[in-house]
Amino acid sequence: MRPCTLIWLSLMLLTVATYAIGEAGMGGTAVMLTVLGIAVIKVQMVASYFMDLRHTRWLWRGIVLGWLVLVTGLIAIAYLTTIK
Amino acid sequence: MIILINNPKSAHQVYATPPGDLAIWFFIFAELLAFGIFFAAYAFARAHNIALFDASQQHLSRTSGAINTLVLITSSYFVVRAVAAIKQGYSNQCARWIGAAIGFGAIFLAIKSFEFYGKFSSGITLSTNTFYMFYLSLTIFHFMHVILGMLILAAVMLKARRGGYSAENHTGVETGASYWHMVDLLWIILFPLIYVIH
Repeated sequence: MRPCTLIWLSLMLLTVATYAIGEAGMGGTAVMLTVLGIAVIKVQMVASYFMDLRHTRWLWRGIVLGWLVLVTGLIAIAYLTTIK
Repeated sequence: MIILINNPKSAHQVYATPPGDLAIWFFIFAELLAFGIFFAAYAFARAHNIALFDASQQHLSRTSGAINTLVLITSSYFVVRAVAAIKQGYSNQCARWIGAAIGFGAIFLAIKSFEFYGKFSSGITLSTNTFYMFYLSLTIFHFMHVILGMLILAAVMLKARRGGYSAENHTGVETGASYWHMVDLLWIILFPLIYVIH
């Protein structure tokens, strides 16, 4: 199997996992962090394998990773300050 | 266009620039920045209206959102296959994969339009409440990016069909592919943020 096909299947499975968490109505800090963690993994998969940034200089991967950490970090902070 | 740099740590090639025209990457980074600010603004706006956001989120179709995520990821995968095909010099195969990607983009738009129709017909607008202001503007903004991505892919497909790309020269295919992956990447964050996390 091509690596990109494996990545595609993983992305589909992770999407189903996120959907299942949502359908189960789960909430709270651990669930929020898990769902954001899944999103981080998926974005990294798309950036590295679909956009093919894994074969480029660290600079380009670093920009996407830095953006990802900053955005999901801010989202997590916004939720952590409010979840009781 | 492509400059190779020796990477002493591995035998793999390391490219100085990402796939496609470098200009599209500056555009992509600008888009990421704009959406990133939008995503963070949503999260902090919710912090001030938790009950309202959680209650409104219950009225979204999580199933539509999830199906659309699967549709965009699959569309992105087709584009990966299109790039792989043109790297082997297969123009027609490349055009067909891109055609499939555009088709899945259209499915995304159809499902999203159906969702919008449901919301608009029940009288929901940008001014209904803060949640819907964010939900509608974020998803409409993303919707327009899907349309732009499909137009770019259509141009690439037509050129590929005419044999305008080759195994040696396919920067245009990679440029369109990179933009399309960004559209997918943004939805991958948008879906859990707006449809799932509460």
